[in-house]
Amino acid sequence: MNANSQPVLSVKDLETVFHTGAGTVRAVRRISFDLRPGERLGIVGESGSGKSATALSILGLIEPPGEVVGGSVLLNGRELVGRSDRELGAVRGKEISLVYQDPMSALDPVKSIGKQLVETIRRHDRSISRKAARKQAVELLRDVEVPQPERRLDEFPHQYSGGMRQRVMIASALANRPDVVLADEPTTALDVTTQAQVLELLNRLVSERGAAIVLITHNLGIVAEFCDTVRVMYAGRLVEAAATRTLFRAPAHPYAGALLRAVPRPDRLERGPLPAIPGAPPNLAELPSGCSFEPRCPLGAGRPKCLQDAPTDRALGARHVECHFAEEQLKQEVTA
Amino acid sequence: MLRFLSGRVLGGIASIFGASILAFVFLRAIPGDPARLVLGPLASPQAISALHKQMGLDDPIYVQYWRYVSDFFSGHWGFSYSAGQSVGQQIGSRLPASLELGLWAFLFAFVFAVLLALLSTYRHRPVIDGITRALAFIGLGTPPFWLGLMLLVVFFSWLGILPGPGSRIGDSVPLPPKITGMLTIDAILAGDPRAFLSAFVHLLLPAFSLGLASFALLVRLLRANLAEVGREPFLVVVRSKGLGRWTAHRRHALPNAFLPTLTASGLILAQLIAGSVVVEEVFNWPGVGKLVVDSILRQDFSVVQAFILLSACAYVAINLVVDLLYGVLDPRVREGAAT
Repeated sequence: MNANSQPVLSVKDLETVFHTGAGTVRAVRRISFDLRPGERLGIVGESGSGKSATALSILGLIEPPGEVVGGSVLLNGRELVGRSDRELGAVRGKEISLVYQDPMSALDPVKSIGKQLVETIRRHDRSISRKAARKQAVELLRDVEVPQPERRLDEFPHQYSGGMRQRVMIASALANRPDVVLADEPTTALDVTTQAQVLELLNRLVSERGAAIVLITHNLGIVAEFCDTVRVMYAGRLVEAAATRTLFRAPAHPYAGALLRAVPRPDRLERGPLPAIPGAPPNLAELPSGCSFEPRCPLGAGRPKCLQDAPTDRALGARHVECHFAEEQLKQEVTA
Repeated sequence: MLRFLSGRVLGGIASIFGASILAFVFLRAIPGDPARLVLGPLASPQAISALHKQMGLDDPIYVQYWRYVSDFFSGHWGFSYSAGQSVGQQIGSRLPASLELGLWAFLFAFVFAVLLALLSTYRHRPVIDGITRALAFIGLGTPPFWLGLMLLVVFFSWLGILPGPGSRIGDSVPLPPKITGMLTIDAILAGDPRAFLSAFVHLLLPAFSLGLASFALLVRLLRANLAEVGREPFLVVVRSKGLGRWTAHRRHALPNAFLPTLTASGLILAQLIAGSVVVEEVFNWPGVGKLVVDSILRQDFSVVQAFILLSACAYVAINLVVDLLYGVLDPRVREGAAT
């Protein structure tokens, strides 16, 4: 990773809302991050924190009642927000692609695997003949280690196992050598051994092709293994940004700290049950005026500053954090 | 697949058997003596009993039934006394008109249902969706005979731009050589655009009247299915590959949404062909439906009997085709049947 190169993807103040009967749900709240060529960035957070909405907002695939209401997404220096669907269609699948979380429902059940791969290839280059695209599709399947690719190309999704389908998804996402891959919970629906295989595959393919990847997950173990940098997402905000090693050594946001302590580890289990984070994420339609983590925060619950002022992004050494008392948190982490 | 098919064929045979029993019993249960109907009130008892013998009405009931069924399948559908023609000839001369009307009505219903259902679901457009739903609602609630009459009043009587009832093609237009008996298709086969256009224009109002309710039913089914399939993750994935909304929906949502409506489509097609009685009556269309009504009024039941069995066979055949189509269109059915 070259820290000085221009970001391939630059998200700034991106904001997405969903208009529901219960009010306007602010799913993504003015988030910003840069992704450098070849970088592996992890976005972690619990269910409903806005991770998937972030991926879809970047791709311009938020459909009503959802809406991207502000911010900017620069892909290779070109603005994506506000572009027509037709213009975005030329970019999606070519410069930026998506690996979807649930392989069981991510493929069209009535089209053969080959047809779906050929469609991805030919969408962005009509000059490739069907036959040539088929050949490419066979190579892609071979690349993602699907056995007997020539034969399996004509099979249908229901004849593939979950892990194999996810391999097909990865093949499809990488078919046109995109610069950025958004992987939304790519292994969540798979069993543990398959998870490891799929991750290893993703790892190899992304390195070979030099693609940058945004890995969205709730699994900190995957982040630790896979990512160069991490963003911690809470209630639609990125509350901490750091290099993976920095964050895992000592998280500066109390939420990140609580998440890390909730990771099961054999040595900790002996000390009793895992510490759960009390409470539930806030209602994104009625956010409190102060810090959105305050009601659940072991550090700031009840503190006047946390109740009144929403913390803003500030640099703390090499990292960025949104917490009034990050220094206090860090001191605790170091002594603990 | 073979097992699947043979099951369907057996089921079909059972349905036809049931229909034949119904038609047979129906004819015996009707009050009145067929021989008396033929010979009239003044015939002598000797003549009546002679005709009884000739018609086989003295034979045991199972012999009569067997004769009815075997005659039907060997093409001897009896003799229509009121028309002085064999029933086979009569139905044969009327069937193409009904087939043509039913097929065009179905084509109209199907094409517009697919188009409107796609248009109202492929992206978030509440106004078009509302119009589609209103159209479906109106279509389901409009009786075909009333609609047919209104259309005739407006387009024939007032505006005079479309032909009135009673003919299938313009008087001055020479008939295309008879191949299928369906004028539009014969005209295409003969390469005669003038005949095609004339026959088509004559079909417009009856086909619309006949097809509107079916269109409404289909559009409702398809719209609901499309809306449901539209929420499937694979559509997001397809869009993330760069496909536009319309292409994604046409290519991926429609085939998936269409599968559950296939059965309904088959039934609708069969109904449009066999059940266009009311519309044929309004437009004085020389089809089978009108023939059946006229035959009932004249108590000429041999026609009715043949028609019941014939339409049962048509339903069974169309359903068989639908089942085959499932195998072609849905890979999961294909596999499930193979293993």
